[in-house]
Amino acid sequence: MRFNFGFFMREALKNIRTNFLMSITAATTTFICILVLGVGLLVSSHVEGIVGSVQQDVNIEWYLSSDMSQEEIDEMEGEISSFPEVENVSYTSEEEALTRFQDTFSDNPEVYQDISEGVLPASLEIQLNEAEDADAVAGKLEDAGAAPADLNYPQQTIERLNAATGYMIWGLYGATALFLVSSILLISNAIRLSIFARRNEIEVMKLVGASDSFVRTPFVFEGLLQSIVGAGLAALVVVWLNYLFVDWSQSALPYVPVASGAVDTILILLALVIVGVAIGVIGSFVSVTRFLRV
Amino acid sequence: MIRFDNVTKIFGRDTAALEEINLEVEDGEFIFLVGQSGSGKSTMVRLILKEYEPTAGAIHVRGTRLSAIPRRKIPRHRRSIGCVFQDFKLLPNKTAAENVAYAMEVTGQKRRQIRTKVPQILELVGLTEKMGKMPDQLSGGEQQRVSIARAFVSQPPILIADEPTGNLDPDTSVGIMQLLHRINRIGTTVVVATHDKEMVDVMRKRVVALDNGRIVRDRVKGAYLDEV
Repeated sequence: MRFNFGFFMREALKNIRTNFLMSITAATTTFICILVLGVGLLVSSHVEGIVGSVQQDVNIEWYLSSDMSQEEIDEMEGEISSFPEVENVSYTSEEEALTRFQDTFSDNPEVYQDISEGVLPASLEIQLNEAEDADAVAGKLEDAGAAPADLNYPQQTIERLNAATGYMIWGLYGATALFLVSSILLISNAIRLSIFARRNEIEVMKLVGASDSFVRTPFVFEGLLQSIVGAGLAALVVVWLNYLFVDWSQSALPYVPVASGAVDTILILLALVIVGVAIGVIGSFVSVTRFLRV
Repeated sequence: MIRFDNVTKIFGRDTAALEEINLEVEDGEFIFLVGQSGSGKSTMVRLILKEYEPTAGAIHVRGTRLSAIPRRKIPRHRRSIGCVFQDFKLLPNKTAAENVAYAMEVTGQKRRQIRTKVPQILELVGLTEKMGKMPDQLSGGEQQRVSIARAFVSQPPILIADEPTGNLDPDTSVGIMQLLHRINRIGTTVVVATHDKEMVDVMRKRVVALDNGRIVRDRVKGAYLDEV
């Protein structure tokens, strides 16, 4: 028998119209599940993005003693930049350190009005490729003549951050996976209920001589349409929330490096719609098949 | 056309619904299966439709042994048998015409063909004016006519009716029986399971009486009781 797409689509649409409440229930369940799933993915990927950029920002500051000459400093800067772990070295003079300090506290001038040039030391700011190399590089700097007290780098912070964010990211992914499982159960249950309400219809269709696939296909199309609507709307809301969050974080949390590019919105959109539609279609297929044994 | 050879059907462990049934229904015959509720009429109907498998014995329909039909081919078997039920079994979300059309759609017939055939068949059962009505807008007799139209629209060689007048008043029942008779005269083999005594007596057709799962009587021009 020829596969009559138009017929099955018309049947599916007619069924959705006559069982509107049930269709809305299934679509709403899909919407809510996919929305929460999407928000979970969004949070995970933003946290991952922020952690990644924090780790990249790790640098070592070497406060130079005032009796080093400019030539010595230049020589040292050249030597350090040749370390393989080091990405970049920049020199901050005493004047620049003061200017920067004043800029930071420009709202409270009383903090810096008594500080004169020379109080804040000049420094070398050493940016690292990998946060884990901080200890090794610090060791090399000490060999080169730096006093340990003059080196400032957040080694402990990095270690803690690494551990905490590791757990956090795994936790987020675990929660997302759990939610995926419960979404599958919830959505397929909603579908099963709507099909259960129509099991007599399925029996009649079978008695009139309809083949399994002839009975099943309109139901699967229904599941497809419901889940496209539910998951599609949810995916759009997730993308919109992402946009709002990135926008808000840029003004409210300027020092937190929220990357708008950390989340590939198109990819998330696609993944959510695919997950939703797959659950809808497979759920309908399985649920109808249960009632086909007449 | 339909043949039962020593057919026994046992439900559960030891509830015998049918015991050693032997019956042959000829091509083009009109036959009543009569008996009280629980005598095994419906079980016979369901065996013919291959809704159940017999516990023992063999059933042949149009020369094919039913136990040899794989599950995949059951729909095709059922399409060769038009079916009418006591509770009509119409699809509630479809109009009278759509219900009839569905039986043609399952066989993959063309829309154009469906559009010409459905009004014809509804005219035959006298429902031309009610084509667009939903089942819940029709009376019991009208619903049963729709279900007969659906059963007959693909012109199956066999038409089986299980208590077709069970939910209808006597006047309406006469109309339904006349309709079945007309379908039989076109050449369709008609099997009617019923306990509607008056109908059986009026029609003077072959009557097979069942009692407790056994055939107790088989008369060519019989009545429901046939004491004469």
